[in-house]
Amino acid sequence: MSKNFFEIKDVNFAIGGKEKVKNVNIYIEKEGDIICLLGPSGIGKTTILRTIAGLEKINKGQITLKDKIISSDKIHIEPEKRNIALSFQENSLFPHYTVEKNIRLGEKKISSDKNINFKDIINILNLNNVLNKYPHQISAGESQRASLARSLISEPDLLLLDEPLSNVDQSFKEDIQVELKKILKQKKISTIIVTHDSYEAFYLGNKCALILENEVKQFDDPYNVYHFPNSIEVVNFLNRGILLPAKVTGGDTLENDDLGIIKGKFIKHYPTGSEVRLLLQPEDLEHDDDSNLQLEVVDRKFRGTNFIYTLKTQSNLLIPVAVHTHHWEQHEIHEKFGIKRPIQLEHIVCF
Amino acid sequence: MFRHLNIWFLSSFFISFIVIVPILTVFSSFFENTSNYFEILKNTFLFEYTLNSLILLTSVLIFTFIIGTVSAYLVSFYEFPFSNFFKWGLILSFAVPPYIYAYSLTAFFENYGTAYTILKNLFGEGSYNKYIPKFDGMLGSIISISFSLFGYVYILTRASFLYQSQNLIDLGKNLGFSGFRLFSSIILPSARPAIVAGLSLVAMETLAEFGAVDFFSINTLTTGIYNSWIAFDDLAFANQLSFFLLLFIFALFILENISRKNAKYHFNSRGGFKRKKKILLNKYAAFWALIFCFFIFFMSFLFPLSQMLYWTIKFPENLLSLNVTGLFLNTVYLVFFSSLILIIFSLISNYGNRVSNNKFLNILSTLSISGYAIPGVILAIAFITFVAWIDEDIIKTLGLSSIKKFFIGSILGLILVYFIRFYSLAFNGIKSGYEKINIYVDESAYLLGYSKRKTFMNIHVPFLRNSLLFVGILVSLEIIRELPIALILRPFNFETFATTAYISASEDLLEAAAVPSLFLIIIATLFIMISSKYILRDNHE
Repeated sequence: MSKNFFEIKDVNFAIGGKEKVKNVNIYIEKEGDIICLLGPSGIGKTTILRTIAGLEKINKGQITLKDKIISSDKIHIEPEKRNIALSFQENSLFPHYTVEKNIRLGEKKISSDKNINFKDIINILNLNNVLNKYPHQISAGESQRASLARSLISEPDLLLLDEPLSNVDQSFKEDIQVELKKILKQKKISTIIVTHDSYEAFYLGNKCALILENEVKQFDDPYNVYHFPNSIEVVNFLNRGILLPAKVTGGDTLENDDLGIIKGKFIKHYPTGSEVRLLLQPEDLEHDDDSNLQLEVVDRKFRGTNFIYTLKTQSNLLIPVAVHTHHWEQHEIHEKFGIKRPIQLEHIVCF
Repeated sequence: MFRHLNIWFLSSFFISFIVIVPILTVFSSFFENTSNYFEILKNTFLFEYTLNSLILLTSVLIFTFIIGTVSAYLVSFYEFPFSNFFKWGLILSFAVPPYIYAYSLTAFFENYGTAYTILKNLFGEGSYNKYIPKFDGMLGSIISISFSLFGYVYILTRASFLYQSQNLIDLGKNLGFSGFRLFSSIILPSARPAIVAGLSLVAMETLAEFGAVDFFSINTLTTGIYNSWIAFDDLAFANQLSFFLLLFIFALFILENISRKNAKYHFNSRGGFKRKKKILLNKYAAFWALIFCFFIFFMSFLFPLSQMLYWTIKFPENLLSLNVTGLFLNTVYLVFFSSLILIIFSLISNYGNRVSNNKFLNILSTLSISGYAIPGVILAIAFITFVAWIDEDIIKTLGLSSIKKFFIGSILGLILVYFIRFYSLAFNGIKSGYEKINIYVDESAYLLGYSKRKTFMNIHVPFLRNSLLFVGILVSLEIIRELPIALILRPFNFETFATTAYISASEDLLEAAAVPSLFLIIIATLFIMISSKYILRDNHE
């Protein structure tokens, strides 16, 4: 039996006979942990959740929860017997009941050790004003939160959330993320969250699974996914850096025609002389007005705490560089922008 | 297919199968031998039957298109005196079946009829008969059927007009269209699928119409089928004629289905819809709009109602001699059990289709709902053919006693054929209610620990309560008005308001037909008034 609280082992996920994601191996190590599934639209993230919930069957591999097989090619425990809650992205409230009745339908008949309180959930999700309303009388964001409340109050062994905050206002989203994480951790509710928002995944998840090209490309903790992506596909999906051609010149150096010598610790060994593609993220380079390496500014994006400058090298490569917005001098488009030399990176990720 | 086998799948399959069997019987009977009547008819009347059916169909379609579309346009776009009243007043035409309209028309315009009496009372004795136009024969049939059926075009076109967003009209104006051009280039084309759907229903009902054309002695394919069975006792030929008529009807059915699918594109999504502002008509225009709508309302409802009421008062002995309580109880009995069975089985079948999500079952359901397109006469005869076949080829071969008496000339047989005839109405009515329940609602229920049965009983049935009530009323309305099935399959001495009216009228006792007709109109009107808010519902209101 599995040592993990929840585990998907060698499963192919399909819907309507069409295979969506192959050979999936992911797990939740201990009760109360959260994993996030990240990937582009239509890749099969929702199919994975539906299958875990028991709404779809599998014909290869197995899914176990609390040491019990819930899905395999031979076993299929019905959804109503799994004690798994799924909060759908679409409105799934019962249309003829009020919001309160909808949420209370999720309440456990016998109190469990998790002891989730109705009032607490309502307060956290800010649903007090809509309790007496019917689903058609509330906004998409409110119905999504009500659905989330119903799932939480059912005190499931495993909670599945499909884009739980996609319709929630931005101003309110971060507060809910904080409260949601707090309650999930406090009540030890193991959760799988599907999202396309990498920041949401990095904040909420103990681990993230990146689903690209019909497979799980990387399953790791958020820091590693961001800083040590294991494939070019992951780099491209996260869209937080560029790949520069470079040549390995020593145990901790490589050289690029435009930027010169770059130093740092390789996370993987490459023989000297190897031609590689170096991952350069916006925070890797430092700005220095006095540097002799001056590149032309072609774009500047204001991101609140940072400006992201896009610089053009001599060989027409575009490099992103983050600069704190309180930096006294702003650089306009077509102006020169200095890069501090020698370039020293925390870690060197190459492909 | 077999991995879906469960109680819901099997129930749904079984219900659809029962409905399909008589329909298949019509097709299978096509190649059977017939009596000489077929040869006689083929060489003599078949052309006349077909021609009459086509003339009737074309004329009714033109007439219902004009009055249905214009009245829908007036009440949807303009405000004039009583426009809100006409909005629902015009659907009361459904309370008057074509055959009762035909009796009224004849009663009013015949020699020494009501028109004559009015003129005599106004101007004294005179030879008015030669000046009073006669609406009988083909013209009478066309008028009776049109005023009774235009409501289909009116309701669907009005719904389509209501869903037309103000944005669409503003856009038309922005492009420089106004007045008639706005109507003909923007408003009418965007309601086209609804108009075609309405006309298709009118066409199917017209081809299936029996009471009115039989009363006016017009030989159509439908009366031909009835006569070949009743007069010549030739079941096989009745089936062959049915097959021929079904070809017409299936062509219309396909047309209606295609246009219904397209009609979806004309419903705006929540976000893009902007409520239309009704235009307040000036005095002159308002007067003509009022006159037009009142004329339609008067002709389609007030006229037959008054005529029947007048005769009931004028000849009170007919009221006294009629066993009203008995007829009422028979009608209620038939309506109650048929509607109940229809609702229960349609509900189960719908849920079975929903949870099984199986292509084979979907095809079977689609075929089974074609029952509505098949005229009552054909269904009744197909049912008799099927029972006779079972009885002769299976029951008797096994040496068992005949089952005919349980199904032919019995309440059970009558209810079964009503079930087949109106199954599509109930099935589609409940289906449209089901379409409002997102599939995620079911899945959420399962995840909250509800079984399929509990989801059905605790989530679906309460939610569909209003839809079920509406379907019940619609089906009841149809059964109250229905004539040929009751005529063919009713038990001996079991009469309803409809059959009593028909029998009196066919014996040229129109005064006696007035009383049951009046009761029928009153009951049907009550049903329509109860359900009018559903019939005229507008999601944006």
